[in-house]
Amino acid sequence: MAASAAPLSPLDETPRPNIPTAAVRLPAVKDYEQVDNEILATLRPSAGWFAALGVAILCLLIGAATWIYQIYEGLGAAGYHPPTMWGVYIITFVFWVGIGHAGTLISAILYLFRAGFRTSIYRMAEAMTVFAVMTAGLFPILHLGRPWKFFWLIPYPNWRLIWPNPKSPLVWDVFAILTYLTISTTFLYIGLIPDIAVLRDRETNPVRKRIFALLSLGWRNSDREWRHFTRAYLFLAAFATPLVLSVHSVVSFDFAMALTPGWHATIFPPYFVAGAIFSGIGMVFTIGIPLRKYFKLQHYITLNDLDAAAKLCLFTSMVVGLAYLTEFQIAWMSGNQVEQDYFWNRVFGQWAWAAWIMLICNMVLPLSLFSQKMRRNPTWLFILSIFINIGMWFERFVIVVPSLSHEFEPWQWGSYAPTWVDYAILLGSFGWFFMWFLLFIKQLPVVAIAEIKEIVPPKMSHAVHGHGQPGGSH
Amino acid sequence: MAGVLAVFPHLDSAVHAIDELKRKNYGDITVYSPTPRHELEEAAAAPVSKVRVFTLVGALLGVSFGYWIMIWISEYWPLVVGGKAIATWIPYTVFGFEVMVLVGGLSTVFGMFGLSRIPRLTMTVGYDGRFSHGDYGIFVAAAPDKSAEVSELLRKHGATEVRNER
Amino acid sequence: MSQNTEPTGIKRRTFLKVLGASGAAAATVGCSPEPTGKLIPYLVSPDNTVPGVSQYYATTCRECAAACGIISETRDGRSIKLEGNPEHPMNRGALCARGQAALQGLYNPDRFRGPMVKRNGAWQPISWEDAYNELAQRLGGATGGLFINQHESGLFPTFLAEWAGSYGIQTLQVDAEADEAAAAAHRAAYGVAWPRFAFQDARLIVSFGADFLDGWGASVPQQLDFADARAKLENAPRFIYVGPRRSLTGLNADQWIGCRPGTELDILNFLRGQGTAEQAAQASGVPAATLTALQQELAAARPALVLAGARNARGYEIATAAAQLTQQSGGAALARSAGAAVGLDGAARYADLQAAVERMRTTKLPIVFVRGVNPAYTLAPQLDFAQAFANAGYRVSFSLYPDETTELCDLVLPDLHSLESWGAAQPVAGVIGLQQPVMDPVFSGTRATGDVLLELAKKVPATATRFPHATYREWLMARLPGGQQAVAGALNKGLLPGSLPAAPAAPAVAAAPAAAPATTTALGNGEYFLVVYPSPVLGDGRGANKPWLQELPDPVTKVVWSSWVEMHPETAAQRGIERGDIVEVKGPGGTFRAPVVPYLGVRPDTVAIALGQGHRSGTNMPIYEWGDEGVQWGYGRYARGVGDNAMKTLVASADAAGGFVWTGHKATVTTTGDHETIPSTEGSARQHGRGIAQAIAAGALTQPDAEHHGHEIPGAASHEFLPGLRSPVAADAQGTLGAPVKEDQGKNVGMYSPDHWSGMAKRRWAMTIDLARCTGCSACVTACYAENNIPTVGAAWQNATVYAVSKPGFNVTRGREMNWLRIERYYEGNDEARFGEDFEARFVPMLCQHCGNAPCEPVCPVYATYHAPDGLNVQVYNRCVGTRYCSNNCPYKVRYFNWFGYGEEDRKQYAFPEPLNWQLNPDVTLRGKGVMEKCSFCIQRIREAENRASLEGRPVQADEFTTACAAACPSRAIVFGDAADQNWTVAKLAEDRRAYHVFEELNTFTAVVYLKKVTHPGPAAAATAAGTAAPTTTGAPAAAPAAH
Repeated sequence: MAASAAPLSPLDETPRPNIPTAAVRLPAVKDYEQVDNEILATLRPSAGWFAALGVAILCLLIGAATWIYQIYEGLGAAGYHPPTMWGVYIITFVFWVGIGHAGTLISAILYLFRAGFRTSIYRMAEAMTVFAVMTAGLFPILHLGRPWKFFWLIPYPNWRLIWPNPKSPLVWDVFAILTYLTISTTFLYIGLIPDIAVLRDRETNPVRKRIFALLSLGWRNSDREWRHFTRAYLFLAAFATPLVLSVHSVVSFDFAMALTPGWHATIFPPYFVAGAIFSGIGMVFTIGIPLRKYFKLQHYITLNDLDAAAKLCLFTSMVVGLAYLTEFQIAWMSGNQVEQDYFWNRVFGQWAWAAWIMLICNMVLPLSLFSQKMRRNPTWLFILSIFINIGMWFERFVIVVPSLSHEFEPWQWGSYAPTWVDYAILLGSFGWFFMWFLLFIKQLPVVAIAEIKEIVPPKMSHAVHGHGQPGGSH
Repeated sequence: MAGVLAVFPHLDSAVHAIDELKRKNYGDITVYSPTPRHELEEAAAAPVSKVRVFTLVGALLGVSFGYWIMIWISEYWPLVVGGKAIATWIPYTVFGFEVMVLVGGLSTVFGMFGLSRIPRLTMTVGYDGRFSHGDYGIFVAAAPDKSAEVSELLRKHGATEVRNER
Repeated sequence: MSQNTEPTGIKRRTFLKVLGASGAAAATVGCSPEPTGKLIPYLVSPDNTVPGVSQYYATTCRECAAACGIISETRDGRSIKLEGNPEHPMNRGALCARGQAALQGLYNPDRFRGPMVKRNGAWQPISWEDAYNELAQRLGGATGGLFINQHESGLFPTFLAEWAGSYGIQTLQVDAEADEAAAAAHRAAYGVAWPRFAFQDARLIVSFGADFLDGWGASVPQQLDFADARAKLENAPRFIYVGPRRSLTGLNADQWIGCRPGTELDILNFLRGQGTAEQAAQASGVPAATLTALQQELAAARPALVLAGARNARGYEIATAAAQLTQQSGGAALARSAGAAVGLDGAARYADLQAAVERMRTTKLPIVFVRGVNPAYTLAPQLDFAQAFANAGYRVSFSLYPDETTELCDLVLPDLHSLESWGAAQPVAGVIGLQQPVMDPVFSGTRATGDVLLELAKKVPATATRFPHATYREWLMARLPGGQQAVAGALNKGLLPGSLPAAPAAPAVAAAPAAAPATTTALGNGEYFLVVYPSPVLGDGRGANKPWLQELPDPVTKVVWSSWVEMHPETAAQRGIERGDIVEVKGPGGTFRAPVVPYLGVRPDTVAIALGQGHRSGTNMPIYEWGDEGVQWGYGRYARGVGDNAMKTLVASADAAGGFVWTGHKATVTTTGDHETIPSTEGSARQHGRGIAQAIAAGALTQPDAEHHGHEIPGAASHEFLPGLRSPVAADAQGTLGAPVKEDQGKNVGMYSPDHWSGMAKRRWAMTIDLARCTGCSACVTACYAENNIPTVGAAWQNATVYAVSKPGFNVTRGREMNWLRIERYYEGNDEARFGEDFEARFVPMLCQHCGNAPCEPVCPVYATYHAPDGLNVQVYNRCVGTRYCSNNCPYKVRYFNWFGYGEEDRKQYAFPEPLNWQLNPDVTLRGKGVMEKCSFCIQRIREAENRASLEGRPVQADEFTTACAAACPSRAIVFGDAADQNWTVAKLAEDRRAYHVFEELNTFTAVVYLKKVTHPGPAAAATAAGTAAPTTTGAPAAAPAAH
């Protein structure tokens, strides 16, 4: 509109839809000053933080040492039991990739949908995404028989011009995971730039100030920068959204493209994507609720935000549950006796215990979220999220192990029993993930300062009523 | 470059200042704000960002490269696997898509960098740390002879601090 | 393989040099990530060896007394593969698993390196000179003594008798596996101990515990004849097996009648018309109806062949009765003396051995020699051989291996292996099988016993002049008809016409006592009949030190690296015993401890255990530790501490013919509460309706095929089914898949184009496996191990370092066996596992099917497995990164992963400790840690044949060569060749109407074509044989999926 001095009375501009103003969303947050102080306060290292970091690094070292041992000895050190040629490593790979989906979902998809509760939690979720994908990326290498040859899966130029096989879902994986890692890292960093600028401007220590200055790329909050920044952020979000859906579809192709009974199903891509988002939300709770408490962010990450996230969790849980049931129905109606044998074996056979853990954790327990009291009870959400993590790990277990151990050839029906090597490396992966995450939360703000400021009422020279502030950047 | 930098604690006063400056047209205006505000955008009335061009071009390059490289690889060593065709374009859609997102996304970011002139190593003139914190800033690249006049105007609109930048 | 290796033209020689050199290089490169190239073991080649060129020597197998003919492929002075001698009258080119494994006896890492002497309890090396002197001096003073020698056909016994005679030493030829009762009965009835049974002319075969396919008599020739008989399909003989336990032979029968041990005689008497069906039924525990049906069938089907090898206290009477019944049913002509296995004759009876041991105990013999036998292990402990042996003045062993008996001796003069030494055998009348060294001795410290004895004779003044011959070979040549020249001429084929001077007279047949010893069929409370049998794989235990045989699944129970107790599922359920629960079987002789394997094929009132395991050192050495360099007492590292010795349960008792009584004793079974996972390669023993092992009733062969309509099934019509030409590879080569657009067709298909210069795309290597012939003997499996350098993984120490469980077969309990070719044994019928309801067993050799649409190929991210234009599914070890996705996607589960560095010398998991690695095939790489491997259709043989043909400027002729498994198969069930060329046998067989693909519905276009098994329902089908009689064309109806 043409520039005019008029439009500043809050009363004659109705709030943008879906962007509740601060008065509604963050009643306890008064002004920019408070935002800076409170959020930057979370960056002061504490003894508890050092302890947690130490534990994480210890776990990582255990895992790393075990891996070295496994490389020397051979994969036989792990509990593989042909025909179960894949085990804990692939299960954990899918588990972490799945977790890596919530972040981009929240930061990108909810961004496009203008979901207000995104603002306060997306930074944390995005960081979680990046580190989860970094963790997941290790496992395809870990589970190789000759890990030192992993780069043969990448089409790197070599003088013999020998290339990987583009028909193999594993090569699709390489591309999907690497793309996803790059884009989500970029997305996280772009979002961070204005906040790093805040850190830079408030930093007194010259060394740290210099580092922040470099990281902030000399960001100046000028109108030109904001203009391009907001556009670029929008397009990145538009890219990241289909990417989220594609990545876990590709991961599901690893199974769906094989003819193994229990894998060979067209339902896998949507089923995996839903499961991934479900597990991701679960991990957001697992990480975010303690963070919210210890960083005293209750009035940024409000109960309304948790409530909304819990609704998303409930929805995805029901999608996943539907997928479980659909699988059985497909097998039942397929008339394919091998398929039917497999699904019978899944719920009543040697692996029934795992299947029931999966069904209870992922289908039954989340139903509690129909009650608003539960949705607004952080303690319960935390406990539930632990169950969800366990349940989703076992979902992948149920997909991988029973299928392989109970295939076409009865003579080769087998079993599977992980050894301490599998468990140590699984532990190490958690160490790796939490090491990065803990380092992150003390160096960079886990709540997006600039975006919080968007919904906090700006200072006005004229008297302002405490509601209906125009806000939002788009 | 020389000019006048003013610091405004209040959003509305900054907006009014911008309006008048634009009317008087002393020179290029740069507005600083801790967070994007539509009021400022509308007042500054800048054209829509060009970033989308980079996005489009990058995406097109990416998708074509993704398909091409895989088809070329298949044809280079024609090995039959599983009785499938040598170059099967349908599954290669995965590569087409992933590379599209990769190249498109990155070109968007670098386009944004280029358009908004970052990374820059120095703050140069006309910036104040308060702008990232809470205050609004207006920098007018006014000729030295006009600076007094501009400062006067800015103060009138409620700038708490006005200084000449060299 | 052709025996003529004379280089034909310079081109071929140079080529073969290159081939062998590169092969050897590859073999060593395969060992470790860092290639280390030992190219040629010689600086100066010995005469007439060309590096990399194989030489083939014909010689005689000594793994059992049958004396089959073998041809050793010797490369660079090392024997690398044994195959049957096609010209040999016994095995006619086939070779059993035990024969194949002779190589691991030759290269066994635990062989004695040289003579050793025991000085006050401690073993120490001794020089041959000192050994000679010490022994000569004892020999000089000695009068009398005992020489216990292994039973071997040919001239050595004669030589030994002459030598020993001059010192008054008694000699004994011992064969612990021989069935003396049957031999005696055969002598009486047919004139020869082991006639050649003309199965193919019989209409009915009834076996009373005669396991003619696994150890009873000359297994290989009998298997060849039996397979030929069954391959007649329509009017093939029906086969009924009677006995308390259903052995491998029994599993090949159309009907099993489980009678109490010892009551075979009652049944035979009834069949011969003495007594009533009720009496027989009363005694034998078999329904009278079944017996009457059997009688009627015998009367109807003439000629019938009745064999008996019951090996119980009435063994001789039973065998005699069987022979008489054969004559009654017109089968006398079926037991032919022409081609009789005379080599098996002439062994000392158990009674004689027993007497000799007693003599040892009572009179103090000055000196006792033991050669090639292990009485301390194979004699019932109640006989207490050790104590009697200790009574002897001086004990000398010629054994190659540190076995139990040798450990009791004072002096070891290690003999040469039969593949290193000279000899002659008489497999059948009129033909002499020559035995020649196929390579220089592996250990220079070992000497041929013949030479040693001659040397000794020279050192003893009394006999110094009696044996002028410098070497045993010299002595031998003098005795062989035609002498040196004739032998030189005959060595090429390894066969010399003529007969050898008669061996020392075969022990007289004891006249059958008037009344057979009554075996009470009454069982006390908690008592079971005990059936002990020599293992089809390990024999009487002499195979236990060969990892190939330890890792070869028992054909019936599929157990490896372990002992086990067979018990009927009903009994097990009633006793609350699970598979793997460890029990103690207490027989009259002692207790035997092993886990239980529930088995349908044993009577509920009977438990069965196999001989062969349970080797122990006298000093109770623990299980071998990797790196232990000492002498591995207890029969070597691979045998010591594995399982338990079944012989411990038995007492020394002989039947009327002086044969050892194996079965029919009573035993109690007590549970120990311990449990272990049995190392077995068996997943589910049922097909769950997957149609893997299909069968068709003989009657149905003539009728139009009901289940498949028209010619859509493979094999039904003439040209719908040509594996490969219908395979998408060829289709792609023609460009219809690769380039849908017309003008692009033929582009970018390279070698896949039929017009390509190599012409590979014109071929389709394929294989047919005739389930009507396959007996499940597993010879092909060991042949595959030998040809393709497959590592054995079951040894106790071949495990991860940190969580290592030092238990034999542990890796197999984790399903990590590497058998590229495995024999699956599925049961049909009797799903509730009830005794009395008959069941059928089907054997399916399962190997890589080399699919045209191979599911394993597209999922490999690095093209490590792809499709060769000639239809092979190729595995590129060097390219494999080990994602194991291919194995996940293989419906046949025939891909095997190297979990450890089985091929790397410096690892405890190394499967070929020096000198076992001398046997490795230089044409095949050793796979490194972390790569996938699988059956390659013996690609090294394919390429060798192709290259030889092209160098000789000719096309590859039909059936010019074959794979290792097909070459070894003693029932000729496996045929390999180019299915796209009608001249090959395999192409014709693929047209057979019995042909089918496994999992055809998966559209994999496999190159392996199975021919349905043919069942022979009895005339009174409904009465008894429920499982076998039903003309099932597919597997069993789907059982409860999870029930396995």
